[in-house]
Amino acid sequence: MTTTIIGKSVPRPDAYDKVTGGKGYPVNVKLPGMLHAKILRSPYPHAKILNVDIRAAEQLPGVKAVLTPSDCPKRKYTTVYFVPTDAASMVQDMLVMSDTVRYAGQPVAAVAATSVAIAERALDLIEVEYEELPFVLDPEQAMQPGAPQLHPHAQNNIAVNPVMEFGDLEAGFAEADHIFEGVYETQRVHTCYMEPRVCVVDADPEGNFTVHSSMQSLFGLRQKLSYLLEIPESKVRVMKPPYIGGGFGGKLDIGYIEPIAALLSMRTNRPVRIEQTRYEDFITTARHPIKVYLKTGVKKDGTFTARYAKSILDTGAHATHGAEVINVHGMFGFLLTYRCANRKWEGYAVYTNNMVGGGFRGYGSPQACFAVESQIDEICDELDLDPIEFRRTNAHHQGDPHPFLPGMKLDTYAFDECLVKGAERMGFARRTGPNAGEGHRKRGIGFACQPLWVSGCLGFPDIYEHSGAIVKLNPDGTADLNTAVMDLGSGQITTLCQIAAEGLGLPMEAVRMTQTVDTTTVPFDAPSHASRVTYGAGTAVLAAARVARQRLLQVAGIMLEVSAEDLEVSDGKITVKGSPDSSLTVAEVVQRAESPFVQVTEEGPAPTTVEEKGTIIGLASTAPAGNPSPASVGFVEVEVDTETGEVKVERVVYAHDLGKVINPNAAEGQVEGGFQQGIGYALMEDLQFDEHSGACLTADFLDYKILTAVEMPLNIESIFIESNEPTGPFGAKSLSEPCITVPAPAIANAIYNAIGVRIRELPITPEKILAGLGKL
Amino acid sequence: MKKLIELEVNGEVHELAVSPDETLLGALRDHLDLIGTKQGCDSGGCGCCTVQVDGKAVYSCMMYAVSVQGSEVTTIEGLARGPELDPLQQAFIDAGAVQCGYCTCGIIMAAKQLLDTVKDPSEDEIRHAIAGNLCRCTGYRKIIDAIQLAAAAA
Repeated sequence: MTTTIIGKSVPRPDAYDKVTGGKGYPVNVKLPGMLHAKILRSPYPHAKILNVDIRAAEQLPGVKAVLTPSDCPKRKYTTVYFVPTDAASMVQDMLVMSDTVRYAGQPVAAVAATSVAIAERALDLIEVEYEELPFVLDPEQAMQPGAPQLHPHAQNNIAVNPVMEFGDLEAGFAEADHIFEGVYETQRVHTCYMEPRVCVVDADPEGNFTVHSSMQSLFGLRQKLSYLLEIPESKVRVMKPPYIGGGFGGKLDIGYIEPIAALLSMRTNRPVRIEQTRYEDFITTARHPIKVYLKTGVKKDGTFTARYAKSILDTGAHATHGAEVINVHGMFGFLLTYRCANRKWEGYAVYTNNMVGGGFRGYGSPQACFAVESQIDEICDELDLDPIEFRRTNAHHQGDPHPFLPGMKLDTYAFDECLVKGAERMGFARRTGPNAGEGHRKRGIGFACQPLWVSGCLGFPDIYEHSGAIVKLNPDGTADLNTAVMDLGSGQITTLCQIAAEGLGLPMEAVRMTQTVDTTTVPFDAPSHASRVTYGAGTAVLAAARVARQRLLQVAGIMLEVSAEDLEVSDGKITVKGSPDSSLTVAEVVQRAESPFVQVTEEGPAPTTVEEKGTIIGLASTAPAGNPSPASVGFVEVEVDTETGEVKVERVVYAHDLGKVINPNAAEGQVEGGFQQGIGYALMEDLQFDEHSGACLTADFLDYKILTAVEMPLNIESIFIESNEPTGPFGAKSLSEPCITVPAPAIANAIYNAIGVRIRELPITPEKILAGLGKL
Repeated sequence: MKKLIELEVNGEVHELAVSPDETLLGALRDHLDLIGTKQGCDSGGCGCCTVQVDGKAVYSCMMYAVSVQGSEVTTIEGLARGPELDPLQQAFIDAGAVQCGYCTCGIIMAAKQLLDTVKDPSEDEIRHAIAGNLCRCTGYRKIIDAIQLAAAAA
């Protein structure tokens, strides 16, 4: 298919606004009469609240309302909003405010006041009487008999325990020539979106709520609030911000702030704003730590005969995302990645008195990929096998049945090509053994794969996967695109406008994403998550554009007295196929359709027909036709200083089958940003908690380190392989998540290649390197 | 007790009544509606709030408003001349250096000081000039490209 806009690095329509001040962030929302609320949080990780005395706080001038657990709904819920509220897969185990505290930082009261400063002062005046309870921070200790119990429904603190088995595991191990076992551990890390979580909720006396929020889904938020407040969904209007300041999955659930602001707004009849501090953000959402026990049987030639894993996920005080992450981790991180007849996986999402985990780009796969891809290199090293051939041998191939979607095939799946092209570009063949060369700085090359992943959530029974779009043409030949899709920064506005423009036959600059929509004006959309927007929302946008285009050509056909089938439209111009002289502009056609029955033209009044009348508009609300897998391989070259233990990532080559590149610049941005997060995960990021108090020790950017421009390797080469997925918009599949999944194991493998030290616990700090070298 | 301060922001003189514990960031956003300066951490860790005070890039969340009495402050809103963008702003668009954009204004303000003082900065100088500004989306490559582009255009 010839395209003129798809595949071009068109500038972002939102960039001008963002470089001149960025007015569109939810943090900027200010309403007349708005109050500011702050939340009092528990200093204890596990306690009973005996009494909350708010009398002094209420007396403080400027305080308008104080909320305590007894004022909050008693309906249990889960914050996750990409599933229906009552989905069987979700554990409904939390309250907006509970009289049992299960982690240090849990909200126990909130104040709405005329200023932030007054609200903060009022928090100091609230007296909470706690009865401290024994607590447990380690998930394996929490599973032991006699450990403190967090929830009555969860025996041994196990929130969920999925087990999946294929073939005969014991027979598979009996068939193996070699068996490898290892334990791989990952830490708790934060998404570090730059714009804090923020909301403004305005309740009116008739029980209607208008909500502004930084969350990643309009409709998810609407459903959760209506569920919690026990009001119809139509009473909750969620406004779409033009864009938000990052999310990465960290804004993929309703926070405490939206329901608390809603309750305070109901009490005061005024809009209530809550902006979290960075400390509050750090203890609101995180990637779950998972410990993976991995046991693998292989033949001499490197063929898998049996694969077993047990994964223990620390879900913190509530199940929320943990109940879903554990499954994605087990399936897409472990079971489905490579072919093997005999596989078994046991997952445990375990309650502890830690903060609650959340969504984070990759959603369980980075923890699994670190285990699986590290161990494959260990196997190859031990058996002297080529690690690239090993993966090719065991991988799925194009045309194989899709291992997750029944009846579907991996129609486009260029995993082999990713391996080959990535290895060639990196110069993998020049790799030497550990400790080569002189001096204390050793170089190493490593790689890791995320062989199978998703383009959205089709096939997951409990997860929403449809999108909607309205495409409306204007008399000046432009088009407005209305969707509920949230742009987190990854370029959804740009790529969806490109898809709409290409589908309509308009130039890129003629299509705009409407900024001021809300849940009353646009069709439902699943959240911006699961690498789904280009594929899933792109499908709906293209369908809506094609409906509008069809109507455009019908009207043009009447005007030119030809059939619509004989017309084509490109760059805003409609021509009769084969007769380029017979043409109209899109603007001329829309003006005719929008005119009264007698159209005023430069040549004088012109009669028109009823058939031509009406706004040219396309609407679609649809699920995509599949869930095609991308494929990805990341190579890194590192330098390890054997005297200081420091690791520098010098070069990255990343190969990814994404079906079709919609915008090369935006696609490269996904890879480069993914590696910023993935390298941080590998080497430095670590949310730490005090073992005696459960308090977060790393709740600001001075203690929680992410890569700056000084540490970040700038030598990142993206290789995009275009397999042209037939079900995707213009051939596109997905990109975002594997970019963050592969860096950690690739770096661990490169470190081993440099110095012969295998580290199975993230982050790989200088201390661990030096300990591995026997120097500590 | 509020205190009256006078300061020049983007060429205009303002008189503000601020609390002694109010930050320059708060004064800019809450008193002057200059919302291009962002709060990311309020603890001097992220750089989203970077502005220039008397020609020097600073974290506005780390300065009390009363301490800038009599100073000249430049924020992102002060860079463009009408519809004509500062070369740095244009370069950020052209290089595709903007993703979520929440860090962008702060990084442009940090880079502005560099380009005001160093004519043809090296990649290393650019990296260090923005080392106090975090970006979680881009991996910095395109940001550094943009600053180089702006330096070349100057």
